[in-house]
Amino acid sequence: MSNYIPTIGIEVHCELKTKTKIFSNSTNGYGQMANSLTNVIDLGYPGTLPTLNQEVLSLAMKAALILNCKIRRKMHFDRKNYFYPDNPKNYQITQAETPIGYDGYVEIEVNGEKKKIEIEEMHIEEDTCKSTHRGEKTLLDFNRAGVPLIEIVTKPCMTSGEEAKLYLEKLKELLFYSDVSDCKMEEGSMRADANVSIRKKETDPYGTKAEIKNIGSISNVKLSIEKEIERQAKIYDNNETFLPQTRRFDDKLNDTVLMRVKETGNDYRYFPEPDIPYVIITEEDIKEVQKTIPMLPDERREKYRSLGIGEKNIESLIGNRSLSDYLNNLLDENIDFKTAANLLLGDIAAYLNKNEVEITDTQLTKDRFIELVTKMSDKTLTSKNLKDILETIMESDKTIKEIVEEAGIKNITDDKAITTLVQKVISENKESVEDYKAGKDRAIKYLMGQVMKESKGSANPEMAMNILKEELNK
Amino acid sequence: MLDKSIKEIHEALKKKEIKPIDLVEEAFTRIEKNKELNAYITLNKEAAIKRAKELEEKEVSDNLLFGLPIAVKDNIVTKDLKTTCASHILENFIPIYNATVVEKIEENDMVIIGKTNMDEFAMGSSSRTSYFGAPKNPWNHNKISGGSSGGSATTIAARDVLFALGTDTGGSIRQPASYTGIVGMKPTYGRVSRYGLIAFASSLDQIGPMTRNVYENALLLNVIAGHDKKDLTSANKEKEDFTRLIGKDIKNMKIALPSYFMSDIVTEEIRSEVEKTKKLLEKSGATVDVIDMKYLDNAVTLYQIIAMGEASSNLARFDGIRYGFSIENPKNIDDLYLETRKEGFGKEVKRRIMVGSYLLSGENAKIYYNKALSIRDDMKKEFDRVFKDYDLIIGPTTTTTAYNLTDPMDDPSKSFMDDVLVIPVNMAGLPGLSLPIGFGAGHMPIGLHIIGNSFEEAKIYQLASFLEKELNLNLDARKGEENV
Repeated sequence: MSNYIPTIGIEVHCELKTKTKIFSNSTNGYGQMANSLTNVIDLGYPGTLPTLNQEVLSLAMKAALILNCKIRRKMHFDRKNYFYPDNPKNYQITQAETPIGYDGYVEIEVNGEKKKIEIEEMHIEEDTCKSTHRGEKTLLDFNRAGVPLIEIVTKPCMTSGEEAKLYLEKLKELLFYSDVSDCKMEEGSMRADANVSIRKKETDPYGTKAEIKNIGSISNVKLSIEKEIERQAKIYDNNETFLPQTRRFDDKLNDTVLMRVKETGNDYRYFPEPDIPYVIITEEDIKEVQKTIPMLPDERREKYRSLGIGEKNIESLIGNRSLSDYLNNLLDENIDFKTAANLLLGDIAAYLNKNEVEITDTQLTKDRFIELVTKMSDKTLTSKNLKDILETIMESDKTIKEIVEEAGIKNITDDKAITTLVQKVISENKESVEDYKAGKDRAIKYLMGQVMKESKGSANPEMAMNILKEELNK
Repeated sequence: MLDKSIKEIHEALKKKEIKPIDLVEEAFTRIEKNKELNAYITLNKEAAIKRAKELEEKEVSDNLLFGLPIAVKDNIVTKDLKTTCASHILENFIPIYNATVVEKIEENDMVIIGKTNMDEFAMGSSSRTSYFGAPKNPWNHNKISGGSSGGSATTIAARDVLFALGTDTGGSIRQPASYTGIVGMKPTYGRVSRYGLIAFASSLDQIGPMTRNVYENALLLNVIAGHDKKDLTSANKEKEDFTRLIGKDIKNMKIALPSYFMSDIVTEEIRSEVEKTKKLLEKSGATVDVIDMKYLDNAVTLYQIIAMGEASSNLARFDGIRYGFSIENPKNIDDLYLETRKEGFGKEVKRRIMVGSYLLSGENAKIYYNKALSIRDDMKKEFDRVFKDYDLIIGPTTTTTAYNLTDPMDDPSKSFMDDVLVIPVNMAGLPGLSLPIGFGAGHMPIGLHIIGNSFEEAKIYQLASFLEKELNLNLDARKGEENV
């Protein structure tokens, strides 16, 4: 296979997390009984008119801001006319001429180098209804009809499936963290299309384009792009050509398959939507929206790094937004954040997963968590102790001190007391000391066990081990 | 009883000399007698009687329209009452919701008597594109009532009821009002909510009152006007009483008469009636200046582009899937679309959808639709210029009086020319009213078109009521046939 330069552009549709639909007051929800979240407006009944959900404008503005887009101050909606059963009015209300956001970018890191993925434009539109094919019949569920979407279109500026993947991961993270969308690809609240073409040299014109529609996961975006590049390269290598086309990714075949060859450009007969007057966005509107943007992932990463949290834990925290938010609530406290992060991502995360609860739904208040972190970092509590009392901590409102006392945990953290214990054990177990000195590893475990036994389990194990080693090496 | 003045009827209701049911029954008797006029597509007999009886339980309020029957054009949706748009495709469509104007009518204790005949989807100027056949002009049953609100005009002219709602996209209230000798007002765009009006051309459509006289017209506008959150194009204006200037002197009123309106596109007899009106106004202390206005002769072209473009999109929803007529056993989805729409729509509607689709296709949208929108802005500015110096603009409503039902229909551009004088008002979003000012050959009514600045309906009513009183015409069409 010869070397080709791929050119990739990505279009993402993202459902906005609003309470109601974009043009009616029907609930915006997922997983409800078919056609239970609809009204005459969603169904395109004659005489009905769209209203405009202000929450959609705010969320779209927010998305535009976090994607570093310019915001259009005077915009309108357009009608995109086409007949399809999932399109109740047989036109979709969208923005063709005046997208709310334009000229933005998302920064990703490819092989240690930063790269800006340029956003051409971002516009608002309504989702279609969901059609399910059953044999010869098609079932229509209009619950999704009129759910607000933003469509984010990049410039053809990516050159590999990996870049596309990194871009989508970053985009998903940003939209999720800013509460614009829940970005669940498996539920279709985030959907991606990839435009792929290849050419020999930078100076060549772009190659013929194939659009891969509706890819169901980020990893499949990467895979389908790579497969598509391979497919196109083979064609060119054989001195053949192909027509612009629409393809889809087939999970089972693990490859892209042809849906249709694009004939002359689609004629959507766009024109300005006469039922919705121009929307004016003011500086104040933008300022208001700006206030609602929380700390975004990259800023969090930097903050965590500065607090001494390790890279692995940082990514785990970013991957678990509710824990990250919980930690962000403590940023002004004087605690050991490394310990705090370990605690959250270790035993606490395990507890939350097992019990399927959110941290905010437990008894672990800010103050109690601070107390816990302090006890862990000054070693008055061991991780073994914690395992015994974690459930009580999460489920009762007693102070950590009370819980520790009730559990009878007394950790000896006094050097002298531990040294006395260690010396006693050494003098009483001469044989094992000999074994240790002869290089038998097992011996130290035995001696350590004796120290813990002597302390009735209350010696801090880490300290005891250090002192034991010191004493043995004397 | 329905021949008495609105105040007399109201007094009788208040004194319990009559009940709402008496008015409703009288209306149905008249409609039955005038059946031949074909003014209605659907009568609401059972529900209207039930409603009238319910109103007996209610105290008669100061609302002059309490208990009065009203006819509603059949492109305005009425809950549980068939709404057809005079089309086969909606022949059996029973809406599950009310238009905002219908809600207002019911809140004001009026009784909906039936749904009136019209051009299919309001596309036409003579109501002859109706799937249910054309209504007849009460003044002469061989003549058209005009359109598209032909049924509403007919039932008012025949005095079946005193109140009717029409809709006006390119003259569809004013032109039939002129042909049938009644008063028809197209309010400012945005004055009346369009929610529940089955859209023809969204940026032009407006609902308005059709009545036997000016005062009753203003009363009905009082009921239906107002801001509606369900319609983003409805204007957020304070509530006003549109009758407030009625009876006020018109001395010193400045009126413009565009020369285009008096050119030879208008018949001699109509120009002469308008000329007489001009003299009457001048005699009464108003000034009437003949002025030149740009763009008026572009209006029909702009109208065709904008209205047909929007219509092609608005009517796309009638696909046989969710409501309305649908063919049986379609072979596939395209077959369902094609055959349902082929059978469901009439010829004129299909013609306009096709032309509209063409006008929005590819680059055409920029060449035609967007260009038309921009010239439309210029036209609006031209009106603004005139209204800086003048209170109102007048002219004839139509170029001829009502023509024969049997006249050929095969020249669509001619039918648009019927509306050449009224369309500029829709393009500029202004209010306009047609007032009967006389009769032409065969005693067919002639209407004066009074155009106001945006949201100045009250001023139009002021002038109209002055002329109505001065002219004191006998507008009872029931002797129409004998008058020939």
